[in-house]
Amino acid sequence: MKYKLVNITSQIKEGFMSMLRIWIREFELIFKDVGVMVIIFAVPLLYPLLYSFIYYPEVVRDLPIAVVDLSNSSASRQFTRNLDATPDLSVVSSTLSMNEAIVLFKEQEVRGIVQIPETFSADIALKRQTTVSAYANMGFFLYYKALMTGTNFVALETGNDIQVTNLMNDGLSFSQAQVTAQPLNLIDNAMANRSGGFASYGIPAALILIIQQTLVLAIGILAGTARERHPMGTLIPFDRKRMGTLRMVLGKTAAYFTIYSLLCVYMLGMIPQWFGYAQSADLKELIALMTPFLLGSVFFGLTLSVIFKNRESAMMLYLFTSIPLLFLSGIIWPLSNFSPVWLTVREIFPSSNAIFGFIKMNSLGASVYETSHEIVALWIQAGVYFITACIAYAYQVTNTEHLRSELKNMPYKLIRERIGRDQSL
Amino acid sequence: MNRIIISILEVAKREVLRMSSRWLYLLAVIIFPLLSILFFGSLFKEGVPAKMPIAIVDLDNTVTSRKIARNIDVTQLSMVSMTLQSESEAMSELRKGTIYGFVVLPKNLQSDILSSKQATVSYYYQNGFLIAGGLMQNDLTLILHTLSSGINIQKREALGQPEDLIMAQVQPIQVSTHQLFNPTASYPVYITTIILPIMLQLFILMMTVYSIGIEIKERTSREWLQLSNKSVVAALTGKLLPYTIIFMIMMMFQNFMLYKVMLIPMNTSLGWLTFSSFLFVIAYQAIGIFCIGLLPLMRHALNLAAFYGILALTLCGFSFPIEAMPPVFRYWASGFPVRHYMHIFQNQILAGFEIQYSILSYLYISFFLLLPLLVLNRLKSALIYQNFIEKPKH
Repeated sequence: MKYKLVNITSQIKEGFMSMLRIWIREFELIFKDVGVMVIIFAVPLLYPLLYSFIYYPEVVRDLPIAVVDLSNSSASRQFTRNLDATPDLSVVSSTLSMNEAIVLFKEQEVRGIVQIPETFSADIALKRQTTVSAYANMGFFLYYKALMTGTNFVALETGNDIQVTNLMNDGLSFSQAQVTAQPLNLIDNAMANRSGGFASYGIPAALILIIQQTLVLAIGILAGTARERHPMGTLIPFDRKRMGTLRMVLGKTAAYFTIYSLLCVYMLGMIPQWFGYAQSADLKELIALMTPFLLGSVFFGLTLSVIFKNRESAMMLYLFTSIPLLFLSGIIWPLSNFSPVWLTVREIFPSSNAIFGFIKMNSLGASVYETSHEIVALWIQAGVYFITACIAYAYQVTNTEHLRSELKNMPYKLIRERIGRDQSL
Repeated sequence: MNRIIISILEVAKREVLRMSSRWLYLLAVIIFPLLSILFFGSLFKEGVPAKMPIAIVDLDNTVTSRKIARNIDVTQLSMVSMTLQSESEAMSELRKGTIYGFVVLPKNLQSDILSSKQATVSYYYQNGFLIAGGLMQNDLTLILHTLSSGINIQKREALGQPEDLIMAQVQPIQVSTHQLFNPTASYPVYITTIILPIMLQLFILMMTVYSIGIEIKERTSREWLQLSNKSVVAALTGKLLPYTIIFMIMMMFQNFMLYKVMLIPMNTSLGWLTFSSFLFVIAYQAIGIFCIGLLPLMRHALNLAAFYGILALTLCGFSFPIEAMPPVFRYWASGFPVRHYMHIFQNQILAGFEIQYSILSYLYISFFLLLPLLVLNRLKSALIYQNFIEKPKH
């Protein structure tokens, strides 16, 4: 009994030591490989900066529009000035003809047209309803949004003034007129991203996606390279010491986990600080979310990596997934409008729940409890992919063992022949 | 002349054989591009989001407040999925992501309305998601304004104002929205139409770099050049021809899905559509040649192509407009054929403007076809001397 116990402890010790060895070896592999270094360090360090600069203005301001002022009265000119005064719009041309405005639109001098009817001032004077037409460019969502926000705001404000003036003419006091015109005082509360800034909207998702994509890519590239360089084309190196599955998976995971933990400090801590993105989540909350996400991504990457026989394959097969994954996360098209098929596909990738959870925590201030759906899903993914990674690596390990014992009894000449044959494939 | 054509065809034949030797070709040239069309074609199939879950916090609990809640429920965009008792409860649901927004109907709402006091109605929505946030804001603002006007109208009716005058009094200025040159205000029109070419350019770029780079890496480039009588132009033409044909078919299939299945308006002739699609494909093949010619070590060339290809999503300017970016990126954006292709789509295909408004975009795309000339000699020497093969370090 006692002997057995000693045996187990020494086995654990040995396993731990070889895990450490694999960990260090993975570090060596990463730091010696310029291509992988670019993906693991240059991309996570530079992309967030680049995107932050590109989206720095955050919102569309002063959208150039043309006003077709058919009324040409003091009321319509005031309306035009009010449009110009909104932060959203800038009236660059005020003409009397729609055709002229359309030419400007085609030449992309203006991005929208507002037409004030001929009867504008007469309608107001005679207490008739008047209709202002806004012609929007639907090619760009943000242009459309800016034109509608600006025009609706001015129309409502001007309309309200007219209404209050009319009511006061009917004998009401100013405050009575106000309440009659606006029985409900509406208060608009935009949560998470108050000003609707584009960087605040896109960058958090991009950060999480970059972590997963570069991780999976780097693991795939290194696996392909290992296969390519190995004389027998196996993923597991021929060591004198046996390479167990568990120590293999854990050793590699430890290497990536340490590097990406440090990168997270930069990407999720420093970048939001520098550019003023939302930072509602505290360190504990971020750790609760990022731990299962990083583990899940590493195990996911390890599982997939066994299919690559060449260095480039990972890049060829992974790169394009980045764009669909951004859409799958649910930040662009609302999840409530996803079909069941895509909702299921969404659950395959750790990035989907991590992006959603990160935005909830960091922008809306959700607690760990309120993010539990995402965190639990991420742990389930981490668990499932840990098992698949172990199965995939166990298969590789047995394969290598098998090959090793086969080669042991083979004469040197035959081995040389075999290496030559393998390389020709 | 005939000899050149024969050697081009010989090279093309060799390439088709090479393509059938590895799974990767089948995946990256046919399966994944088709999956991407399927994904982006079906994701937004409803056109406009509908029935997004929201909550009502009814602190008043009277006939009036319940009537307002019902009115909010019947809008097309949102659906009241829960009625809650407190604002903090609703805020927690919003943080959990179960609802996209909520409206708080205050205590004494009914009595305030009856006694002509102004009641305050607050509404909250998740603005961390651009489309959902924008739509929620529009929808909630509109319905609450309408309800507010409804109360206004009832009051005026009670005061005995003539009915035909009331509407003009309540809303003196009405805004009618017209979508210029795109009557269907649906999202596929401006997401799918641009995303699909962006996806395809990734495949074209990566495949072009890969198919040339692999010859250098695996030292088969001399054999390849020999087949084309040492003409690098013939060698490249022959090699890329099968891809040009496949990606052109992919592009036309994509167009078929967009304009025939999803019924996005197409206001140009089939000839122009084919021509612009063809230019798009060969422009990206030219950029691929440029990448591998500039960096004949395949893994570096692939990294370069990947960096450039992914950036197209941002710098083609369909999500965040280029005009709103810092000026330096405006020049940078011209370096992406997909941006010019987007202009052609918006001006010529969708809006049906005269060709004069798109001619510049065609010229821009054509410029990219000259890029390979800059690296032809460098690429040829890399193919002959194979001096860009990584040596494994031991």
